[in-house]
Amino acid sequence: MTEPQRDQTPERVPERQAAVGSRRDEDLEEAVFKRGMLRRVPWWLWALLAVGALVGLGIAPGGMKQEFDVAKEFTLDPIIHLPKIGPFDLSVTKAVIYLWIALAIILVVSLLIRRSLKLEPSRFQFAMETMYELARNGIVGSVMKTGQETWFPYIGAVFFFVLVTNLIGLVPLPLGEHHALSFYTATANLYVTVTLALFTFGFTHYAGIRKHGFGNYIRSWMPQGAPPVLKQVIFFIHAISELFRLVSLSVRLFANMLAGHAILAVFFAMALIFQSYLAALVLQGGSVLIYLFEIFVAFIQAFIFAILSAVYIGGAMEEGH
Amino acid sequence: MDPSAAKLLGAGLAMGLGAIGPGVGLGIMIGKALEAIARQPEVSGDVRTNMFIGIGVTEAVALYAFVVALILIFVA
Repeated sequence: MTEPQRDQTPERVPERQAAVGSRRDEDLEEAVFKRGMLRRVPWWLWALLAVGALVGLGIAPGGMKQEFDVAKEFTLDPIIHLPKIGPFDLSVTKAVIYLWIALAIILVVSLLIRRSLKLEPSRFQFAMETMYELARNGIVGSVMKTGQETWFPYIGAVFFFVLVTNLIGLVPLPLGEHHALSFYTATANLYVTVTLALFTFGFTHYAGIRKHGFGNYIRSWMPQGAPPVLKQVIFFIHAISELFRLVSLSVRLFANMLAGHAILAVFFAMALIFQSYLAALVLQGGSVLIYLFEIFVAFIQAFIFAILSAVYIGGAMEEGH
Repeated sequence: MDPSAAKLLGAGLAMGLGAIGPGVGLGIMIGKALEAIARQPEVSGDVRTNMFIGIGVTEAVALYAFVVALILIFVA
């Protein structure tokens, strides 16, 4: 509202500088207001800092020559050993702790929101309402024709769980080896994503069978007016493609997170790989960009997992070939 | 050629050749989405949503190639 007047500052500067003694305070205030705190630092100080940083990095003695193996970021060592039941090893590993952290975050945030719902939303409530509306209208409402009320709890839960798990994989926690700060995403583990995809797969066929009856549902995989041999072939192909949905859903999430974190690990460890601080400085810009891209990929993958689950469940409920 | 060299060569070929198809496909799909948005800006929300679904499905094909490459390097 008063901004247009403030933008006319350039005309006012000359007469400002004429007044002796008032230059420091008011010009400082203008500079701080217009461009933030950075404008207070004169240009030659920036240049000196940059040159000093480059020289320092060039001549700094190296630390320990550490080995860096990208594959070791993804191996899981048990933290609390628990017994194996059959082929399932129940020990608590890094991935289990990350899953528990995701669960704790979702529970705490949900309970906080539930206790403080107001008619006029606070910013936190507004953010949560936006996410809820995205899951409700953007994912379930826009894709599922029938059964929206029945299946929204599952789709919403999957969306938020995958989103939170992906995002906390970008926060370094001291769960690496020797308690080093390390990044790890629980969904970068094939077992976790296969479990989530199994839920979707199970619910898809459960929804279809409950809606149409078992015989009708299986019969809907075969086209109606077709010669008998072709019916079997198409049924076979349809069954294979339904089974492949399980694979594709899990592998999509798993490989996206795994590849993203491998690239992140490589970029952040460029100093160790090149054994040179100077090269690492140049590449840190790239690592920041990759980090931002990983945040974007985390959102996209959660959204895609949820919306494909909604498509599969909705499609199973309205089989009408 | 000894097996480990063949494994690495196979992994490289798998990822390299496997990224051609999805790359072309993504370019075509996003181009068409941009055309649709340019023609009719009021459907940009719907077009964008469906474009992301399409991107997810198409990129998954490139990731299958990535998984095959990983299997070749670490498991086989």
